[in-house]
Amino acid sequence: MMDQLVNIVSNGCIGAGLVLWLWGTWPLVGPRSVLYKLHTLSMADTLGSVAIVVGLLLRIPSEWPLLVMALISLAIWNTILGYVLAYCSTEEPND
Amino acid sequence: MNWILGPMLLILLIPIYETFQDKDIWQKMLAFASVSTKTSIMILVISVLRDDWMIGLVGVLILSVGNASLMLLAQVLKRVNEL
Amino acid sequence: MTNVMTDWDLAAITALLPIAAVMTVLQKNPYHALVVRGILGAIAALVYALLGAADVALTEALVGTMLAITLYAVAVRSSLVLKLGIIAPVDLPEISIENGSQNGQQNGETEDLVHPVSQPLEDMFNLIHSFEDPPELKPLLADLRVFCDRHSLRLELHPMPDRQALDYAMETKEVHGVALLNGDSAAHPYSVTVRVDRLYELMQTELNPAIATLDTTTVSLPENPLMSDTSSR
Repeated sequence: MMDQLVNIVSNGCIGAGLVLWLWGTWPLVGPRSVLYKLHTLSMADTLGSVAIVVGLLLRIPSEWPLLVMALISLAIWNTILGYVLAYCSTEEPND
Repeated sequence: MNWILGPMLLILLIPIYETFQDKDIWQKMLAFASVSTKTSIMILVISVLRDDWMIGLVGVLILSVGNASLMLLAQVLKRVNEL
Repeated sequence: MTNVMTDWDLAAITALLPIAAVMTVLQKNPYHALVVRGILGAIAALVYALLGAADVALTEALVGTMLAITLYAVAVRSSLVLKLGIIAPVDLPEISIENGSQNGQQNGETEDLVHPVSQPLEDMFNLIHSFEDPPELKPLLADLRVFCDRHSLRLELHPMPDRQALDYAMETKEVHGVALLNGDSAAHPYSVTVRVDRLYELMQTELNPAIATLDTTTVSLPENPLMSDTSSR
């Protein structure tokens, strides 16, 4: 009973993560500005990845150190990367 | 849980197509960021599917290293555009 | 290891690798190629991990993607440059200090320039990087910028005080070419001389012949390793 519940929640997390991935990645193809795409990408993509990793964590708790490390590095690195990319892509040439 | 890799692969194709059709370098960088995160999450999924610690560890390392290389490349490209 | 992956998944993911490789080869701009090389590296790491070679995947990510891309970015940036010597009627310290006070970022660098004679190299560096196009050369430089953009080159102007300095820079291979203003009586307003054969060939077909006469020279001095540049490209 408990196993089934965990399975359902885990599948739900992974499915939600996939939907978020699609939602965050789809605007990449459109003609929008870099910052708009960066926003959707860093929001939906990172949240989707976090959801997928949480889903995996529910399924196989024995690998929790790895998956928690993945969660932490996702949260920190992707945030910083968003800032760095925004800073680098918007700077106008001085001359 | 095998169904998960198929959709992931399809979503991974979107940024790859984007790099092919867009000529702006920053848009390509965004697609690179997207691909790099997605592939490392896929490696993590594979490690869980196979119950293989080693692949999982590599996935986590690639997740952080890929981001670091992206930042380095972004800084270099910014310097190039300034001149 | 249980066989949890279908063959279809395996084949589909592996097929990404040649797709990314072909995309890398098809890029014309070297910087774009670097970014696509990064994507290729990420996909390669995925495929290696999928096939069970965790160590190869890690090496691909660390060396193949991170180190190679960074090194190549620096290499491309420093080699794809057209250094053009021009005669600019300005003296060194003034223009540096002017530009430094105009955009506040460079204040820290330009404070050293109060004694310009003591640091000629630093002066040259700041001058090149904060140099504005001289108005009389604008048409030629616009044409050259289009040319450089097309070939992903950077155009770097090296202002010199007189003709003698230009010739010396050419002889010491400090610049790849010089641009001069012809007199009013001449048929063409400018004349450009380059010492790199390949640049000469490209410019001959692509530079607007109504604007400048094009010339080539060979410099046969033994190359000073400290001054060596991209001429062998």
